This record gives sequence, C-alpha cells and structure tokens, in this order.
Amino acid sequence: MNAALFFNLLLNGVIEGLIIGLAALALNLVFAVARFPNTATGDIMTVGAYAGIAVQGLGISSTVLQMLAAVVVCMALCVVLYRLVFRRLQGRSMLAVLLASIGLAFIIRAAVFLIAGPEQRVFQIPLQRAIDIGGVALQPSMLWLAVTAFGCMAVVFAVLFLTPIGRRMRAVADNRALARTSGIDVDRVMVALWLLTGAVCGVAGMVLGINTVVMPENGWNILLPAFAAAVLGGVGSPVGAIVAGLALGIVQELSTPFVGFTYKIALSFVALIVILAIRPRGLFGAAVKVR
Amino acid sequence: MLSYLVAIAIIGGIYSLLTLGLNLHYGFTGLINFGHVGFFALGAYASALLTLAGLPFAAGFAAAMLIAALVALPLGLLAIRLRDDYLAIVTLGFSEIIRIVITSEEWLTGGVQGLPGIPRPFGGLGVGGAEYAYLGLVVALNGLAFLLVHRLAASPFGRLIKAVRDNEVALVSLGKDPVGVKIRVFMIGAGLAGLAGALYAHYITYLSPEQVIPLVTFYVWMAMIIGGTGRNAGVVLGAGILVLILEGSRFVRDLFPGVLDTEMASIRLAIIGLCLVLFVLFRPRGLIGDGVER
Repeated sequence: MNAALFFNLLLNGVIEGLIIGLAALALNLVFAVARFPNTATGDIMTVGAYAGIAVQGLGISSTVLQMLAAVVVCMALCVVLYRLVFRRLQGRSMLAVLLASIGLAFIIRAAVFLIAGPEQRVFQIPLQRAIDIGGVALQPSMLWLAVTAFGCMAVVFAVLFLTPIGRRMRAVADNRALARTSGIDVDRVMVALWLLTGAVCGVAGMVLGINTVVMPENGWNILLPAFAAAVLGGVGSPVGAIVAGLALGIVQELSTPFVGFTYKIALSFVALIVILAIRPRGLFGAAVKVR
Repeated sequence: MLSYLVAIAIIGGIYSLLTLGLNLHYGFTGLINFGHVGFFALGAYASALLTLAGLPFAAGFAAAMLIAALVALPLGLLAIRLRDDYLAIVTLGFSEIIRIVITSEEWLTGGVQGLPGIPRPFGGLGVGGAEYAYLGLVVALNGLAFLLVHRLAASPFGRLIKAVRDNEVALVSLGKDPVGVKIRVFMIGAGLAGLAGALYAHYITYLSPEQVIPLVTFYVWMAMIIGGTGRNAGVVLGAGILVLILEGSRFVRDLFPGVLDTEMASIRLAIIGLCLVLFVLFRPRGLIGDGVER
C-alpha cells in the first residue's frame, strides 16, 4: 500500500468513522439517560435522510435547509416515539424496551419502504474539483461533512455540559430517583433528551445520505457498527462513542485492501468481541456498573 | 390446499424448534441471545454441505447440532461475563459475522448465488408421500426436543437453570456453579437451532445468505414473546401465530392483487414490528406466560 492510497483510505475512514460516531452518540445519549440500546436509531436516521430528499424534491437545493428539515423531522419522530411507547415502558426491564425499539425500527423501515419505495435516491451536490494533495484526493464535500459532524458533536456537548437542561439530563442519567427527589421534572428532561437525540439522528442520516446514497436499509446497516462503537466506547459515554466510532471507521477502511469489501464490516464485530473478551465493560466503560 | 397446509406445518415446526431453543436460552436462564439465526445458519449450511458431499442425512443432522453447539461454547464463555445489553449486541454481531462469512466464502457456500440442489429425504415415496414423511420427521424431532427440554426442566438441573434466572447470587452462595449451567444451556439451545437449520435446508433445498438475516432472530423472539417466555406450550402457539403472519400475508395478496412483492415484505415487517411493540406494551408475559414478571 503506497502513501497516497493509505491517506485516501484514511480520509474515507475518518468520514465513515464520523458517521458511525454520530450514530453511536445518538445511541449512547439514550443509553445514558433512558437506559436501553435504542435499536430504532438507525431507522430514525433513514427518516431524516428521506426528509432531506423530500425537501430536495420540492426544488430546494440548499443542503442547509435539507439538513434542517431532517433535524426537525427526526426530533418530532423521537418525541412521538417517546410519548407513544418509551414513556409507557419506564421502569420495565431493559429487554422489554429493547424489544419495543426493535419493533419500532421495523415499523419505521416498513413505512419508509411503502412511502418512498425501494429505489436508491441521491442528494444532488454540486460537483467540485477534488483538492489534490500529493495524490490524495480531498473532496470539498468531505470537508463539509466533517465540519458538520464535528459541529453537531460540539452542540451536543455544549447542551450536555453548559446548559441547565444538560445538567439535569446528566443528573437523571446519574441517579434518576435522586434527580426526581431534587425536584427535577424527569418527563421534561426525557423530552429534551429525545429532541437532542433526534437532532443528532437527523444530522447523522443526512451525512450518511450525502456521503453515499439514500436507501431504506441505510440506517439499519449503520446500526450494527454503531452498536459496536457504542460498546467499545463504553455504553453511555458520549466521548467514547465518537472516539470508538472514528477508530472503527478508520480500521474498517484501512483494512479493505487486505480483507476485501464484505469482511470490513465483520471487522468491527471481531474488534468488539476481542475487546470485550479482554475488557468486559468496553474501552471507556466506567468501573462501576450502570445500574 | 392440503399440500399448502402441510408446507405451513413444516415451516411452523421448524420455527417451533428455533423458538424452543431460544426459550431455553432466555425463558429459562435469562441469557439474551440476539444471534439465534447464526446457529440456524451454521446448522443449515453444515448439513447441506455434508449431504451434498454424499454423506447420509443422519450424519448431516448430527453435524448440524454438533457444530452449532460447539460454536456456542466460546460465545457462551464470553457471554456470561457480559452485561445483558452488551450480550444482546455481541450475539447480534456474532450472527452477522456468520452471515458475512457465508456471503464471502463462495468456494464453500456459493456466496450470494446460494447453494442449490440440497438433497431432500424420502424421495422414494413420491411427491405427496415425501411431504407427509417430512412433516412426520419435523413433528417427531419436535416431540423429542420438547421431551428433552421438559425432562431437563423437571430434573435437578432444571431447578438449577431456573435458579440462575431468578437469583444468581443466592445460587452462588449455595455453592452452585451458575457459569457451567449457563454454558450448557446455551449449547443445548444452539444445538436445537442447528437442527432447525438442517430441517430447513433439506426442506427448501436451496440456501442463500438472504435467508439468515437478523430479521429471522426477531421472528423467533416475537414467537417466544407471543407464546410467553418460559412456557413450552407457548412455544408451539407462538410459532404457529408467527407462521400465520408470515404465510397469511399471501392470502392478503389474493384479496388485493395490486400489491407488489416488495410492498408485501414491508407490510409483513410492519406487522411483526407492531406485534413486538404491542405485546411488550400490553401483554409482556405473552398469551400464556409462567407469571414471572421480567
């Protein structure tokens, strides 16, 4: 492998890793506060991408407006899911909520299939000449995707660590009963959590859709690597999700010349299993159990 | 029409075996296995490849169970150290690894092209007779498996299994070894899934990676939830309802001829999803659960 190929793969890996990282961030936000692996995350992302496609279909070519639509639609969808299903399952076993989220994922994907059809859609991004740095092709759109992903992460961290609602969210994540007795309105915190999760899903879905194509299975396909990243990074840890997502994305891309296209997906699971065999709580997992 | 019913009963029997294995995992020990289809795939491909190589059916079936159970050993050793949520994700990942290997190793499995021409037993009995004989085989193996699980549950080992699920700490304090119990249960359940895979392979006579997607695992979870976890009678009921949903959608097509194939698949997916959500919300113990709230 020569240097140019290496850096091209590295670059692709960073973008792929950022997408996995964003999805894992959405998983871990829910995990930290609502305490279950939200299997519907991927399909919520898909809905976001299709919302962007729908706006494009209206003749609006601004990617910013398409992204905005994706974010708003995903936020609304998340709050609806919370109100209709997840709120009713509070206090139930993790498995019960997990199974419900799988059911919701199926329903959402089926709805996307029925409404939008199975054919692939693409975002019409104006073609720009790739910047050539010594044989390494840097697409300007890649740069924008990276900026968007990092921006989204920055916003999430700002909300979590700099705002009163973020503090309350972390309080509920830490100890729900204590938070409630301290006068925190848990229901409002949960709504805020789902709004934040929806926003991340919307951005993640759009970035994924722009980077490749938009298909009904998009979200489900990214879900398993995202789960791997979430577990590797330590379930419930937002920083860990992003670091592990990036690591997985880069490892997957760099391994492609050696293991081929199909096995690169298996690699994230192998990494997951190996690391869990050594560290059963993940790389950044807290020393104490979550519950 | 009758032959159609026989076909439905055979598929139902295969799902019933799968559900029995999963019920052993979750219903009796609380192990969350989201990779059940992986064991099913191992069994299906193992038996198909061995019989295609000229070995007798009995050898294929035995190998299917053995290979699935042996693969469950290292996975189980890892699994018991993990939290529930991690376990769910790891087992899901395991089944995806199996599927990816099947997709990639074309020299062995035919890759995405699939594996055609898998031999079917009872060929000497004519078309109708072979169907009935196969149904008989599926029912007999189900009966044996149910007997095995029933005997297991009623034995001292069975009480140990339920104790692992209900209070592991108390069990350890009594000097029992929950790890060994869980591993053995995991292997037995996986073996049953492997057997179901072999039955599937020799009935359908064609295998492809498309048939072993994670969705199959959740079909089985749905059957178990509907029937009620920890109840063997519920397994049959759940598997029966599952097959009615999967196969019944064909009748819906007769009523609405304009519906496309892909649309039908989506509607099926939505019904399965809706069942999962509604049962978790309103009937968490299934139609006939054992009354233990989980």
